[in-house]
Amino acid sequence: MAYILQQLLSGSAVRFPQKTAVWARGRSISYRELDERSNQLAHLLVQSGVQKGDRVGLFFPKCVESVISMFAVLKAGGVYVPLDPQAPVDRIGYIIGNCGIRVLITQDEKRRALDVATRESLVHCVVIDEARESGNGTGVLPWSALAEYPASHSPQVTLTETDLAYILYTSGSTGRPKGVMLSHQNALTFVEWCAEKFQISEKDRLSNHAPLHFDLSVFDIYNAIEAGATVYLITEEIALFPTTLQRFIETNQISVWYSVPSALVLLLLHADLKAEDLPHLRTILFAGEVFPMKYLKQLAALLPTVELDNLYGPTETNVCTYYKVDRERLASMDKLPIGVACENTEVFAVNDQDEIVTEPGSSGELFVRGPSVTYGYWGDTEKTAKMVVPNRFQRNFEEKIYRTGDLVTLAEDGNYYFIGRRDSMIKSRGYRIELGEIESALLSHPAVREAAAIAVPDEVVGNRIKAVVAAHEPDSVQAAELQQHCATRIPKYMIPEFIEFRGSLPKTSTGKVDRVELSRDTQPLAV
Amino acid sequence: MTTKEITVKDQVRQFVNEELAAAKGITSVGDDESLIENGVVDSLGIFRLVTFLEENFGVKIGDEEISAENLQSVNMIEQFVLSKSRK
Repeated sequence: MAYILQQLLSGSAVRFPQKTAVWARGRSISYRELDERSNQLAHLLVQSGVQKGDRVGLFFPKCVESVISMFAVLKAGGVYVPLDPQAPVDRIGYIIGNCGIRVLITQDEKRRALDVATRESLVHCVVIDEARESGNGTGVLPWSALAEYPASHSPQVTLTETDLAYILYTSGSTGRPKGVMLSHQNALTFVEWCAEKFQISEKDRLSNHAPLHFDLSVFDIYNAIEAGATVYLITEEIALFPTTLQRFIETNQISVWYSVPSALVLLLLHADLKAEDLPHLRTILFAGEVFPMKYLKQLAALLPTVELDNLYGPTETNVCTYYKVDRERLASMDKLPIGVACENTEVFAVNDQDEIVTEPGSSGELFVRGPSVTYGYWGDTEKTAKMVVPNRFQRNFEEKIYRTGDLVTLAEDGNYYFIGRRDSMIKSRGYRIELGEIESALLSHPAVREAAAIAVPDEVVGNRIKAVVAAHEPDSVQAAELQQHCATRIPKYMIPEFIEFRGSLPKTSTGKVDRVELSRDTQPLAV
Repeated sequence: MTTKEITVKDQVRQFVNEELAAAKGITSVGDDESLIENGVVDSLGIFRLVTFLEENFGVKIGDEEISAENLQSVNMIEQFVLSKSRK
């Protein structure tokens, strides 16, 4: 039984050396190659000063080298930090500084785009292509340097399942992203459950639709590698175009699909999904946002033999509950449950009286307990203490539980149903977005006096974002300028699509911006 | 009196810059620049673009034509629209 993630690869490299492990952008790599390249890169990283527990950033669009790099960092005893290749330089610089990344695996072009201070903070950059010139200060190592390192074995490091494996940065309400720390055990608890539940085998072909900085990709990569299956990394040129994507699923004979619901809705609306064209597709998993029932019913009807599962869980627990869609019941259902706890995980709802909810029909905040729960946020003990709390419902020994901030209802049949958030976090295309982070980006513009970000519900992507802004001087700033300003601080999917200007924002009796009032009288977004 | 003719490319460029790129905080997009790699369009942006092309140029765009080959850049969109209008 594996207790650290890289053991999944060494096992499959012995059993299936010639089989294709990863496919991306028209290139593929066998299990043996993946094992050998990641051994070489791990040695190079150690040589570059990476020690156990050190954070190594991965900053390039996803490709075969992404998976090599993930395993190499783990084999070197390090902790990998996938960075959104489309995120603004300022945000990447913040993350590199926040978790103290000294070694970055990147592309030469991406490295050059970083600001000077960030570049100078790096000790080494490994570029997956060739460097046009060696960087000043930072040691820039080309990918071709891997050839000088041993391929047959990985460096000697002692790790246990409690060591960190990766850090995923997610939107933070105070204006800066926060890094969720995940251990090998956190990841493996989920991976082992999936392997058993969805019976992933070497015959399977898994899709990877989610970006690598998004926790959905943990299933795609590690479950494929564990089983000796093949994972197909889907890039934007494919993902954005429903017909192209459908053909991709068809030609590559994808058997297990995992994505946010909006990706499936776009396929439904703009591709010609037919069961007879997709004979290999056996399981569709979705997570990250609520699947609109109307579309789920259509999807179920179009693919009558495919198993459909709704997975639920914040990055802090990866996945903690699931619901296997019951086709018999589906027609009469008007809301999809998030289901029941996964194996080796306990969930319970806590009401306002601080009691665990046991009566069907009652609601409360969902708490998660078990080995999938994060240690907390990198370098932020305050936020960690708020969210990862001592288990006050059990006093025999010390342990931590995670409060999700999600409000749920317990139903008659034992399933939980998601009903909303305690705070102002929203989801769009499965991305977690703290409205406070958007507001803080807007407020950092000198012309802005007040700003509120509002989620406008959307059938396809969950939510679209608009903002209402009051400037210090009327007409002193335009929407486009504010959107540009936001683009230097927050990812594109968080930038308000539409900005409305007002003299002042409505307030509640306590003087806070009245979001309810704003959402009520705001104009709908144009399509 | 001569009126400067507004070409298909001008209109596409204007829409891409003012409607799609601006909302993503991108100031200007070159005619050959990839709208996909640079994140100018996302999954909703693609369909806004298609609706604009259909309404503005009176062409009908089938789902199978919504592809990277046709919609990758301002230049490629222009070529696509021109080839559609000729039909």
